[in-house]
Amino acid sequence: MIGPAPLLQVDDLTRVFGSGRTEVRAVDGVSFATEAGEITLVMGPSGSGKTTLLTMIGGLLRPSSGCVVIEGVEITALPSRELPRVRRESVGFVFQTFNLLESLTALENVEVALNVAGVKGPQARMRATDLLVAAGLETRLGFQARDLSGGEKQRVSIARALANRPALLLADEPTANLDSLHGGEVMDILRDLVKEDERAAVVVSHDARLQRIADRVLWLEDGRLRAVTAPEVAGPA
Amino acid sequence: MSVAGSACAVLLILLVASLYRGWSSASNVLTHLPGDVWVAQAGTRDPFRSTSMLPSGASERLERISGVRLAIPVYARRIAFTQDGRELDVYFMSLDVPTGPQWPATVRSSFLPPPGGVVVDRALAQNAGLHVGGELDVLGRKLRITGIRPGGNPLYQLAFVNGADAPKVLRLGDVTSFYLLSVANGANVAAVARASEAALPGTEASTSSAFAAATARLVNEGFLPVVGALVAIGFLVGGAVIGLTTYTATIEKARDFGVLKALGASDRFLYRIVVEQSLIVGVAGATLGIGASALAASLIERRVPEFVTELRVGDAAGVFVITLAVSLVAAYLPAHRINHIDPAIVFRA
Repeated sequence: MIGPAPLLQVDDLTRVFGSGRTEVRAVDGVSFATEAGEITLVMGPSGSGKTTLLTMIGGLLRPSSGCVVIEGVEITALPSRELPRVRRESVGFVFQTFNLLESLTALENVEVALNVAGVKGPQARMRATDLLVAAGLETRLGFQARDLSGGEKQRVSIARALANRPALLLADEPTANLDSLHGGEVMDILRDLVKEDERAAVVVSHDARLQRIADRVLWLEDGRLRAVTAPEVAGPA
Repeated sequence: MSVAGSACAVLLILLVASLYRGWSSASNVLTHLPGDVWVAQAGTRDPFRSTSMLPSGASERLERISGVRLAIPVYARRIAFTQDGRELDVYFMSLDVPTGPQWPATVRSSFLPPPGGVVVDRALAQNAGLHVGGELDVLGRKLRITGIRPGGNPLYQLAFVNGADAPKVLRLGDVTSFYLLSVANGANVAAVARASEAALPGTEASTSSAFAAATARLVNEGFLPVVGALVAIGFLVGGAVIGLTTYTATIEKARDFGVLKALGASDRFLYRIVVEQSLIVGVAGATLGIGASALAASLIERRVPEFVTELRVGDAAGVFVITLAVSLVAAYLPAHRINHIDPAIVFRA
């Protein structure tokens, strides 16, 4: 029996930097798929290619070979001018360093993502407000990003990632700059967003605590996929 | 800082332009005098740079020309003298007509002082510390200052004396410098000019506006190339300031642009941000610069009377529009830089 197509399909994805003696295979033949409602955690040591993998899935870096399919669209086959549309409509990013626009308020940071997608004025303001209220930031709407705590910044970053209702969330070390309390909050928010709204998420992290919310863990080493395990299982020996 | 830079460029441009306007309009006095045609000795096309000597008593002959209502003898001479230790170089003019209510009040107060009186321009008054009721001592002949008219420039400062005083003050002997013809309503001014040349051989006649234009040419020829060069430099400096500032801001905010790219911002969206930033700098700079120009022109004119300025709304509007155009051009480089920002920058800690 053939099941529904995965929301994200990564097939034999490879990225090579340099050539000859300086050649580095940052990601080497990685394949996996993620269904809606699933969180895939990618773990591995520094330099294992986790972020490069995420960058290619998000359409920010062209692979040397292999393909990425999101919601049935092979984004690796699209011309460069089409990729911003994919990022606007299908992908939401959550970053380790939050990447908020520091001079803007929390509300404006979320509005910007909507503006980028062509949603403007009161409509954008209303949607941004709803997202921030849902993230528990109703008292921080007018605060400039630089005045928010790390946990608050990450919640704004998540609200921004969700602004255009993407099917796929890509998170790069979302808890790395947070203490355990705020890290736990962010994990819960991510889990709820994926489970309740039938999204998929790929989370890259060193943080083993994130296994608590993951459906599977991909272990990456030297760019290669070494193991796919169930969560709360120790790494490969 | 960028707003201040572009404002300085606009200030430079408008000050030079208003100075040029002020000086070139100084010759407008010739069109404000009560006449339509100037009759001068042949070869004299600019009263301030060449001498004109015509026979006295030709008024009646000229008034017989069809269309001429009045022929006014005009005496003119540049005189250098010392007043209260100050070296003055003044171009004196005198219209030999009876002063009276037949003339509009503005003409009487500006050009037709009573016997023993003199009307000076503001630049001369400020330079020499003159005031209404005071005295001007022209080579031993004391004249009471009855009026101060606006204007003046470094090339010639003007004073008007009464026709009865002209022989003693200007000491021209039995000659008249010009005849100023007042033409009747409906009469053909060009035909009157031609007829006056025929009636008074050895003369050239031109309309007041042509006579003023010939005088303004002196200013134009001397200053226009300088004005043009300064205006061009001003726009270059302004454009460079706006362009470099926007470019620097783009580089400083490369990560923010990378974030916007990662969020899916199109090139057009990002270009619009850069162009808007550049235009905001341009609008703010132009507005500030125009305000500063008006203030600076007024302050400098008070300190240096010869610095006669005329800040025209049209000039300010033109500079405003050109500044916006320069801002748009200046946005090109930063917009080009955005193409090279790698959105993957957002993953670097």
